[in-house]
Amino acid sequence: MRPILSLKHISRSFPGVRALEDVSLEVAQGTIHALVGANGAGKSTLIKILAGALAPDAGEMTFGDAPYVPADPSEAIRAGVSTIYQELNLLPTRSVAANINVGKEPSRFGFLDENAERKKAADALARLGAGSIPLSAFVGDLKVGEKQIIEIAKALVSKSSLLIMDEPTAALNESEITFLFQIVKDLKKQGVTILYVSHRLKEIFMLADVVSVLRDGKLVLTSLVAEVTPDSLINAMTGRKIAGAFPERNRALGEEVLRVESLSSRTVFEDINFSIRQGEVVGITGLAGSGKVELGKALIGDFPINSGRIHLRGQPFKPSPSKAKEAQFGYMPEDRKKEGILEELSVQRNISLPSLPELSRFPGFIQFRKERSLAQQEVEELDIKTPSLHQLVRNLSGGNQQKVSLAKWLATGSEILLLIEPTQGIDVGVKFEIYKLIHKLSSQGKTILLVSSEISEILGLAHSIIILFNGRIQAVLSGDDTNEEEILQYTFGQKQKEIAHERS
Amino acid sequence: MLSQKKNTLQRVLEIIGENGFILIFILWIIFLSIGTDTFLKSQNIFTVLRQAAIVSIAAIGEMLVMLLGGMDVSIAALLGFSGIVGASLMVKFGVPPLLAGLVCVLVGGLIGFINGILVTKVRINSVIATLGMMTVLNGVALAYTQGKTIVGPQLDQIAFLSRGYIGPIPFPVILMFIFYILFYLVLNKTVFGARIYAIGNNEKASWLAGIKVDRLKILVFTVAGFLGGFGGMLQASRQGSATSSMGNEFLFPILTAVILGGISLSGGRGKIQNTLIAAIFLMTITNGMVLLGISLYVQGIVSGLILIIALSLDRLRYRKR
Repeated sequence: MRPILSLKHISRSFPGVRALEDVSLEVAQGTIHALVGANGAGKSTLIKILAGALAPDAGEMTFGDAPYVPADPSEAIRAGVSTIYQELNLLPTRSVAANINVGKEPSRFGFLDENAERKKAADALARLGAGSIPLSAFVGDLKVGEKQIIEIAKALVSKSSLLIMDEPTAALNESEITFLFQIVKDLKKQGVTILYVSHRLKEIFMLADVVSVLRDGKLVLTSLVAEVTPDSLINAMTGRKIAGAFPERNRALGEEVLRVESLSSRTVFEDINFSIRQGEVVGITGLAGSGKVELGKALIGDFPINSGRIHLRGQPFKPSPSKAKEAQFGYMPEDRKKEGILEELSVQRNISLPSLPELSRFPGFIQFRKERSLAQQEVEELDIKTPSLHQLVRNLSGGNQQKVSLAKWLATGSEILLLIEPTQGIDVGVKFEIYKLIHKLSSQGKTILLVSSEISEILGLAHSIIILFNGRIQAVLSGDDTNEEEILQYTFGQKQKEIAHERS
Repeated sequence: MLSQKKNTLQRVLEIIGENGFILIFILWIIFLSIGTDTFLKSQNIFTVLRQAAIVSIAAIGEMLVMLLGGMDVSIAALLGFSGIVGASLMVKFGVPPLLAGLVCVLVGGLIGFINGILVTKVRINSVIATLGMMTVLNGVALAYTQGKTIVGPQLDQIAFLSRGYIGPIPFPVILMFIFYILFYLVLNKTVFGARIYAIGNNEKASWLAGIKVDRLKILVFTVAGFLGGFGGMLQASRQGSATSSMGNEFLFPILTAVILGGISLSGGRGKIQNTLIAAIFLMTITNGMVLLGISLYVQGIVSGLILIIALSLDRLRYRKR
């Protein structure tokens, strides 16, 4: 089989991060080629480069027989490469027919040729065995599985010979998945090549011919699926990690401070039970879509809860950010720029924001000297690199912005800290600073709930590790006697552990 | 090379956007001082400032709302409506001026409070919510007055508010400066002001930082209503009467003053002192055109162009984000 796509020595860096390093890969025509890797392995970057949304820093690509250098996504599509992202790019208020033809609408003398449009859409849907989707329905009214099919139909209308699918089953139910697999297999028979990116190992064994594994931006394995096992894939994804990078955990745990009882949020997570003691670090991990981030947000009131209870120091707690603040419960959100910092305000004001009432005197005048010394103290404590307290936070590096996002809660005396993906998009040096900080805070008796996709940091920091899979607790492990492989097996749903309520 | 050029261009635009209108203002004053004999006379200056008083006081309310990233288009209708309430209480019901003034301000505050509820609890976009409120208020004013002017000798009791002098200085000018000093302090020195800027900058992050965003927004709309209500009283005093259309002339100058003064339409940025300068600038434009003998009919064109230029600067300045 000759390769339809080949990558030679592709590299791409972002400030502080080498996302892809010297990746060479060949995808054979008419195959289903799976691409797997842990979070941050470089999958998204690779997809974006193939889709023309990012340019590589170095390396060459050929597609078909010609060099492939897409300047933007529309050039990639014209060359025959269509990408279906996890968050679908459809126009919800336009019809099915219009969506399938978007960007290449048939026209006569400049007027939209609606008949041709409907015909092309109907042909594409028929090829996918999905002729039952009404052409005039609004796409916003369709089910997720149907929307996925519309995206595939779009690719057919563009006569794509390579289809890249990013986590296509993440939001689908069982029967939709079965149908999607049928379509993917049919497309393969029709000669379409598919690059299938997924977290779900089971799907790879059901569907793919070849699998490639990315780890830390490098391609570590390409093999026929028939020649690998789930365990060998997990091994390839994790590799060997540097041991001993993390300090010894704090052993002096106090009273229970937070207890969560049968917490559920419609369809996202269900029946979550756990508790945390003072000074403890509890890690929550799971795949994208496992519900870990939503669970974290729900505890602070940024995601709806349908049933269950939360107790804070023995008192019932109805989550909201302002109540959490009163209860000395601080929150560092996942999306730092949108939720964690105020980019156009100074470092000083960002740090003092939750503490302003305590820094003011009647009738609400801020005592600037106190504000400054509070901010100064936190800047020194967390070693925030900024030329001055009046610097706008927008001008700081990502790691220092992250520290500012945390500093405001330390400044206001928070005793419990909820950190969601605290090291996402941060360079390695600052990452370890943040690990040391989390450890130090825990030693000072602060309680930390760490929601993270990075298994190494959960493993290195947490006293106990909660693993979510499809919205349920798959396992609760002690940080002392588990390892990365075991955690990954639970996160991928390969293993399940009956949860006894041992932690009471 | 190209990006280097763009950066320089952006920097120039930034400087013009930040201070350009003040520069144009100064040039305009110099031009009028040379071109006319009357402009620099203290009597004319006080006339300009007195004309600026009502617009600039109501503009504080609009500015607060816009710092939050919203817009209150009902502010002028609110001003007119409150003025009618105050005037008719005095003329038709013989209510003493102090009480009537208080009710006038409270009515403005109540309307602002309702605006705030519509924007936060009902979650209607602020422009749409206040557009609806504007229509309702204009309608009620027209229905109540039946298109007639409310006028009576009782209104002379409040004439001092807008027509009085303390020494050589018109009283409304003093009021204007008092309000601006007060709200300068509120915005720059208090927790309330800091939170307004924070919410305008990033509402979600402010909410997650424990700020009660909805409550603060309602409060800001209410304060804007108080200020509009007070403006209504001033206008009733200036005219010595009240009509259903008495607020209409204010919407345009209020919005122009706030935007020209550099309050970002997306919220979170801008200085109150620039709003005051912009309001005064607007009045010197009309005043100068009168002094220069330019037709009343052309004045609208000039004012409209100035708003468009101000808006363009605002967009260019923040285009990068």
